[in-house]
Amino acid sequence: MILNRRHKILAAFLLSVVLLTTACTPKVPGRFDQVQQESSKQKSGQAVAKNATQGEKFNKFFPPKQAGYEQVFTQEKKGFAEAKLKKENKELAALSISDTTSTPSAAAKFSKSTKKIAGYPAVEVGKTQTAILVNKYQVKVLSRDSSFTASDRAAWIKKFNLTGLAKLK
Amino acid sequence: MSKSIFELVDELPTSGLTISMLKSLDFVAPGEWQNTVGFVNTIRDVTGETDEDLIQQIGERAIYLYNDRSQGYQRAMWLYQTVDNTDKALGAAALANKVGEKIPLLSFLNSVTPKADKAQTIDLSLKLVAELVAFCQINGIPGDSIGDFVASLGEYSGESLMRMVALVCVDGLIPLGPDFISKAISALNQTNPQELENNSTFKGIQDAIPGNNASSKLNFIGESFDSVKGWMSGLVNGNNLTPQKVVNHLQGFVEIADDKLDYLAAFLDMSTNYYEHTGTQTLARRLIERAVAEI
Repeated sequence: MILNRRHKILAAFLLSVVLLTTACTPKVPGRFDQVQQESSKQKSGQAVAKNATQGEKFNKFFPPKQAGYEQVFTQEKKGFAEAKLKKENKELAALSISDTTSTPSAAAKFSKSTKKIAGYPAVEVGKTQTAILVNKYQVKVLSRDSSFTASDRAAWIKKFNLTGLAKLK
Repeated sequence: MSKSIFELVDELPTSGLTISMLKSLDFVAPGEWQNTVGFVNTIRDVTGETDEDLIQQIGERAIYLYNDRSQGYQRAMWLYQTVDNTDKALGAAALANKVGEKIPLLSFLNSVTPKADKAQTIDLSLKLVAELVAFCQINGIPGDSIGDFVASLGEYSGESLMRMVALVCVDGLIPLGPDFISKAISALNQTNPQELENNSTFKGIQDAIPGNNASSKLNFIGESFDSVKGWMSGLVNGNNLTPQKVVNHLQGFVEIADDKLDYLAAFLDMSTNYYEHTGTQTLARRLIERAVAEI
């Protein structure tokens, strides 16, 4: 009985220690807390500009069908369209067009560009991305498989109908 | 919306009944699903990027996109959560702690009530409709695009495919039996709008279902089910799925007698949230895919 009681006391003591320490530890702000606050100030309209081009208008400028490859459209939102590039059922890359009206910093990165692809300013981002800027539109190819290299990305960017996209208002 | 997208993804569990169940269904789609949890982990996994500055930028854009309600991502999350939550019993958390040991189900039967076939059918078809509507919200196509959804089912992979596998196994085969598709269709045909309105899951998500009233929503549910039945029977036939085969794989973590399958279905319903779990993962991936392409 006494043993049992001691156990109970011990348990109660430990529980209070746990409660006290967890209650008093201040929460360290995480790396995304600030942006969470900023981005939830309004309910809608903060991520995508009102006048951004509808995604469906981008679809026809994607590369025409290539033998041996398959393109599957995955997202089509205001200001954005994306397709998967597949070969033998394996996902090689993601192809996308986005309107940089909503993301000015995305357009700004091209001002430092020293390279061109198909005559448009080009940048490589990280290990997996190559992008060009066609007026306000960003065309990006992202490797989803290590076999798909930077030169593959540049080659696929050239397959988009860039002249057509340049005329899109 | 109470929680941020990064909290939702960071807080996804790595063990418990839901995870055990999904892992034991791996035999239907071997290697398709890894339980990727954590927001930053998911960014690394989706994009293959390791640079911390870049990961930060991708994460921030994804958070902006999620918090903009006009983009539909929050509505999709709400759907995944709601179809899973209507049936939750209080015992779920306690049960989850027991995983690791095998759970002898019989001792829990007192607290579990199997649903009638019709209620089970409505739940199954509402989960399908929720998937369809969430798919349209996430990918940006109109909310009644049954055709687009069916075409893209063939493209489902990873956690999305696993969610559909679990739907067929746990909400179709186990409670309704090997002929669950025809059984569900005939039960749907015999359901009237009033019965639908009394269903708690329907009450939760009815606003998201296309249609002006319960009767037209019921039609939409029927059409959706009808258009997905080919895909479902393909999955069942392609893997020779039977209730027994599914249960054999579930035996790894739950012990159940063969004549108690409807109890098993009810038990899994109340103690797992596979829809919300894999739905959160799907949503995070789509957000991150878009974010990385836009920055």
